[in-house]
Amino acid sequence: MIESVTPMLGLVEAPLVTDALGRFFQPDTLARILIEGLGKASIYFIIAIGLTLVFGLMGILNFAHGAFAMVGAYLGGVLMVVALSSGSGTVTRIALFIVVAAVIFALLTAVGAALEISLVRPIYDRTPMYQILLTFGVGLILEELARIITSSQGIQPEPTWSAAQATIPGVLSAPSDIILTLFGARIRGFYLFAIVAGAALAVAVWLFLTRTLYGLYIRAGSEDSEMVEALGVDVRKAFTVVFGLGIGLAAVGGVFLMWDPTQGPSVMLNLDVLLYAFVVVVIGGLGSFKGTLVAAVIVGIADSFTTWLFNTGIVDFSGLPEVTIFLLLVIALIVRPQGLYGIEEVGGH
Amino acid sequence: MTGLPALDIGIGVVDPGAFFNAFLPAMPFMILMLFLALFAMSFDFISGYTGYLSFGHAAFYGIGAYVIVLAANGLIPGVPSGTPFMLTMLLGAFLAVGVALAIGAVSFRLTGVYFAMITLGFAQVLYELIRNWSYVGSNPMEGPTLEGTASIGVPYVDSLSVALGRLSGDSFENVLGMGIDISATLTSYYAIGLIVLVCYFAMQRIIHSPFGRVMIAIRENEERAEAVGYNVFWYKMGAFAMSAFFAAIAGALYAGYRGSASPDSTFYFLVTADALIVTIIGGIGTLAGPFFGSVFFEWLEDILSSQQGGLAPYLRETLPEGLLSVEVANITFLDLINTVVDGRAPLYLGIVFVLFVLFVPNGLLGSVRDRLGGTVSKRLPAHLERYRR
Repeated sequence: MIESVTPMLGLVEAPLVTDALGRFFQPDTLARILIEGLGKASIYFIIAIGLTLVFGLMGILNFAHGAFAMVGAYLGGVLMVVALSSGSGTVTRIALFIVVAAVIFALLTAVGAALEISLVRPIYDRTPMYQILLTFGVGLILEELARIITSSQGIQPEPTWSAAQATIPGVLSAPSDIILTLFGARIRGFYLFAIVAGAALAVAVWLFLTRTLYGLYIRAGSEDSEMVEALGVDVRKAFTVVFGLGIGLAAVGGVFLMWDPTQGPSVMLNLDVLLYAFVVVVIGGLGSFKGTLVAAVIVGIADSFTTWLFNTGIVDFSGLPEVTIFLLLVIALIVRPQGLYGIEEVGGH
Repeated sequence: MTGLPALDIGIGVVDPGAFFNAFLPAMPFMILMLFLALFAMSFDFISGYTGYLSFGHAAFYGIGAYVIVLAANGLIPGVPSGTPFMLTMLLGAFLAVGVALAIGAVSFRLTGVYFAMITLGFAQVLYELIRNWSYVGSNPMEGPTLEGTASIGVPYVDSLSVALGRLSGDSFENVLGMGIDISATLTSYYAIGLIVLVCYFAMQRIIHSPFGRVMIAIRENEERAEAVGYNVFWYKMGAFAMSAFFAAIAGALYAGYRGSASPDSTFYFLVTADALIVTIIGGIGTLAGPFFGSVFFEWLEDILSSQQGGLAPYLRETLPEGLLSVEVANITFLDLINTVVDGRAPLYLGIVFVLFVLFVPNGLLGSVRDRLGGTVSKRLPAHLERYRR
């Protein structure tokens, strides 16, 4: 068994490695890995931040997170396709995208709050496992409903819904694909867009956490939710608001993935998003905003670096990015079980 | 079931044969039920009895399955392709034990959600490795299949030419001169069922041994178990390794029956999720519960399957034409059946699962036990006694 592992990983002889190192330290390669990595980091951050907010305050690992991202991607697709049926320019498309993301955020936040009131609230007095199981069941139902609806609308046989993916303006994708040349590196416009959007969202969430009352509840609740309750805060109401926001943020993540050249709206998004969000959140420390941000950057850069390694043929193992990401999770948990910025014994249930 | 007379129930004629075909599970689903039941029991063995949610349990299932197919193809060094099934099954199981000890050594430093996440992480790493490893087959994404003359059978029973798997095509005609024919599928069913039963009793024995008591003590209060003087780490490792052993046997049976193993049906996260679902429906922390959960799961899969004998074909054939073509908002009743019944088991399973989590948290068997006030075998005689007098 052992001997056969080496050809699988496709590690190559020394001259090629030095050659690879040489290529790696070119400014264009570095710039490309950095920009793409930050773009991916932004997307990872957007899909993970809702999960960490919910866990931080409520101690619930929301297994329906990915399903709501998928719902966001499909709803975003519907809105974009309908709005763009007449065809329009780049600026209109980007403006519409922001409007659509905002609409879906508001809509799904309401849905999430309703879900918390109707299903999650009755089982707070049980062990946290049942809240995990409940959200997991909700995710299953949403995935299957999506499958039924997409197949009855005739968009299921395609792995992703290409009509929705095609609403992306040419500057961000298209065959020209590349708009910016930085140190000779040619970078996909979508990643720049993601960096701007991710940074804006990170600032918005940070302002929410530090400047609003609910942000205060969340920060305090992450430390010690019993004490917060004892101080007279209506934690139940805070739970509803935060759970709603978490779902809304998941849906916004889905809207972004709709334009992601490697994703697009698909039923598969459910588990993909869920697993990646888990990785980011656990590496960063469950419930920590700073941790999620740092972990997203680490995972994003690792992803873009390993994708580069594979695409340049230095390592011919196509599963490399995924393996690296899950190995990061395992290593992070071995070295620092509570995550980079996590509090030991988080989630005071 | 075709010999039964048709019944006239007033609104239409019911053919009992078609009715039973639609509502009773077909043999392939009974076999799937056995694999799933054993895998879910092994999952419950660690998750339900020690309280450590093993979220990457599919890894052990996958190891069992892959070892069988790779050994049959002669791809495992030192194991020729003709090795008896039982030996390769045990090989896979012990390999899984080794992997479980390695994973457990680092994972059992963590608890709760973190333990679930690290086991999930390990399983996903294995999943990504195996589905990109060209050694296992020409298309590793699809997984390996049995090649050419390689075949899988049950040893000792092999000499009676009973083989495991419908691919082998063995069958008995006129068994013991009683005029009963046993097909290859039915033979597999009994062979697999026997192994599952033996594994169930083995796990049951462990649970009721002093070792099993310590497992339950760890679930109830780990600090206290440690304070009493048990080295809880090694008990957890032992329980994890045993549960991996049985999970690998379930995987081996699956691969032996199917003659192939794919990464998505063995190593993937969703395979663990299936075990989790049936464990919750059946009753977590009751060893037989996952079995009843699996019966329910596969029964639902079967009646809602799109293959012949499901509920959808039955409705399509039985319901009067007039009702089928009733149209509401451009959707006929037939379309509705095709979209919301045909092959839609996961939807209803999800709904049932959520209802169970909300209203029946102890699952089927757990609730029965709560009602009886003890295990069924202990309490049932007394309850029956009341009716006998």
